[in-house]
Amino acid sequence: MLTFTLRRISLFIFTMLVLTLLSFSLSFLFPGDTVINHSGQINATASELVQLNKAYQMDKSIVDQYGAYLTHILNGDFGQSMASQSPIRNEIIELLPATIELSLVALLIAMVVGIPLGFIAAINHNKASDNVILSLAMLGYSIPVFWLGLLAILVFSIGLGWLPSAGQISLLFEIKFVTGIQFIDILLSDSPYKWQAFSNASAHIILPACVIALAPATIFIRLSRAAMIEVLAASYIRAARAKGLSFQQIIFRHAIRNALIKIIRHVGLQFANLVTIAMVTEVIFSWPGIGRWLIESIYQRDYTAIQSGLLVLSCFIFIIHILTDFIYAALNPLARGNQHGS
Amino acid sequence: MAREKIYLEEVFPSPFMQLWGIFRKTPVAMAGFCCFIFLILLAIFAPIISPYSPVDGNLEMILLPPAWHPDGDVSYLLGTDELGRDMLSRLMYGTSLTFGLSFIVVIFSLVIGVVIGSLSALTRGIKSSFLNHFLDVVLSIPSLLLAIIIVAILGPGISNTVWAIAIVFIPQFIHITRYAVKEEFRKDYVLASRLDGASNFRILYYSVFPNIVERLMSQATLAQSAAILDIATLGFLGLGAQIPLPEWGAILANGLERFYIAPWTVYLPGLAILFAVVATNLVGEGIRHALKLRKEN
Repeated sequence: MLTFTLRRISLFIFTMLVLTLLSFSLSFLFPGDTVINHSGQINATASELVQLNKAYQMDKSIVDQYGAYLTHILNGDFGQSMASQSPIRNEIIELLPATIELSLVALLIAMVVGIPLGFIAAINHNKASDNVILSLAMLGYSIPVFWLGLLAILVFSIGLGWLPSAGQISLLFEIKFVTGIQFIDILLSDSPYKWQAFSNASAHIILPACVIALAPATIFIRLSRAAMIEVLAASYIRAARAKGLSFQQIIFRHAIRNALIKIIRHVGLQFANLVTIAMVTEVIFSWPGIGRWLIESIYQRDYTAIQSGLLVLSCFIFIIHILTDFIYAALNPLARGNQHGS
Repeated sequence: MAREKIYLEEVFPSPFMQLWGIFRKTPVAMAGFCCFIFLILLAIFAPIISPYSPVDGNLEMILLPPAWHPDGDVSYLLGTDELGRDMLSRLMYGTSLTFGLSFIVVIFSLVIGVVIGSLSALTRGIKSSFLNHFLDVVLSIPSLLLAIIIVAILGPGISNTVWAIAIVFIPQFIHITRYAVKEEFRKDYVLASRLDGASNFRILYYSVFPNIVERLMSQATLAQSAAILDIATLGFLGLGAQIPLPEWGAILANGLERFYIAPWTVYLPGLAILFAVVATNLVGEGIRHALKLRKEN
């Protein structure tokens, strides 16, 4: 386990270096002056510019410049937003939790719906229900997410009027910002309308989360189906059957556990996909998250915000990736060995 | 009397033809393949067969519903948009933008990815390990996010979108080629031709590529369905094709304001995207299914 941890940590550090290098080089690639792209201070006076040049060591070699940039990032200084001239760090702290909340709820929905369906398909392998589930999965995987979001708003918000179509919570509720994750903030607040606020927030999250969850859910169907088919063909299942265990006992005691382990391994990779879908969905549902903020900063050519947004989002994705790797290794002793040797 | 002995030459179909033989017998995959060919033909011939211009509107026929609607007009089969532009023609031209461009993009990234991937499969040690980690990093960033960033650098527009998506898809082709080539290089037939004195490039070209081409094709269909969705999504967000280009995602975004009164301007382009992606995925599924069956035989 120690070697495994060290390997993961070294991979993590390497990745962070590459990502910061990428966002560092973006300042050179974007139009405009490099130091202004780094700091976002478009209205800097001449003396401020001198100071900035010094802070980012622009007169020295490129390696020193990168070192200075890295120090700024590590101190939590992402510069200012070119559009609003407020520190990007504060904006990210406000917006990132909303995205984390939305994407985690969507991941949960995708797993809860997708994995059992995949298991059902695998148990009825090559029968009608298997084919129906697989065809639905293919269809769900092919639907463009923005179209699905619009149809969902048209049907459930405008047509049937069941669910709200935009935002995170009704503006009537005043929830103090503590963690940024709405549900936790509501539970922490001492408002007398706590439970109304809670149900209102849940009503707001259902529609966008389901829209995001559809495509990952179909991938979970395929993954869990493949995993289950593989497990059911293994010899220990045959041994269990030979012992005289009933079909339910085999499935619930032996097969599901072993199949789940194989699926957990892929959660990290799927999460990256899910976050991209979430970005587009945030735009459609006006969700106050980092994806919408990032896309808006592209419209406004807010280069500082774009590079910090990229850095933070890919960091977040990669941390989840590493976490799932750890969970997988903790659950499955076989994975702790030398699996990434190349 | 001379007795002629006739020996029939045994013909072994190439791996690719075996695959095609299995593929042909799967009706769903063939249906997808026909749709795929249809879309390619449409993408090429759209300017010739489309009834109207995709950008010039007929201001007397604004927001006409599709022909099956009581208010519809049969000369505008799928209705018109808010400037009186024929939806059918716009969707046809959109095929060459969304579907045709995604096809070209995938071919382009495939070629570059295969070249870099097979070269890197031949290297070992620190260079290889660095590349491996680097690819892991790039692949962990979602393709759309990376494309959005590249578009942010280059500026919005359809040609920049195409470049962005082409760059984004190269790493996955490098990755899959690298693994496939490395796997083949461990096999005995490669060793045999190496013992015959073949150079690495000769082995790559004559022995390895014919055996991995289907895997690359299967990856290419996956990439293409993602490319269609990415081009359409960027068009929808206003970062890809600009007004008045009839790109499917852009048409959809354009119809958004009149969602209520003219729902067909939104659901028709959505259906077109869905159709293209499903056709591509069916072809991919067919290839993977055939690969599995061939392996089992």
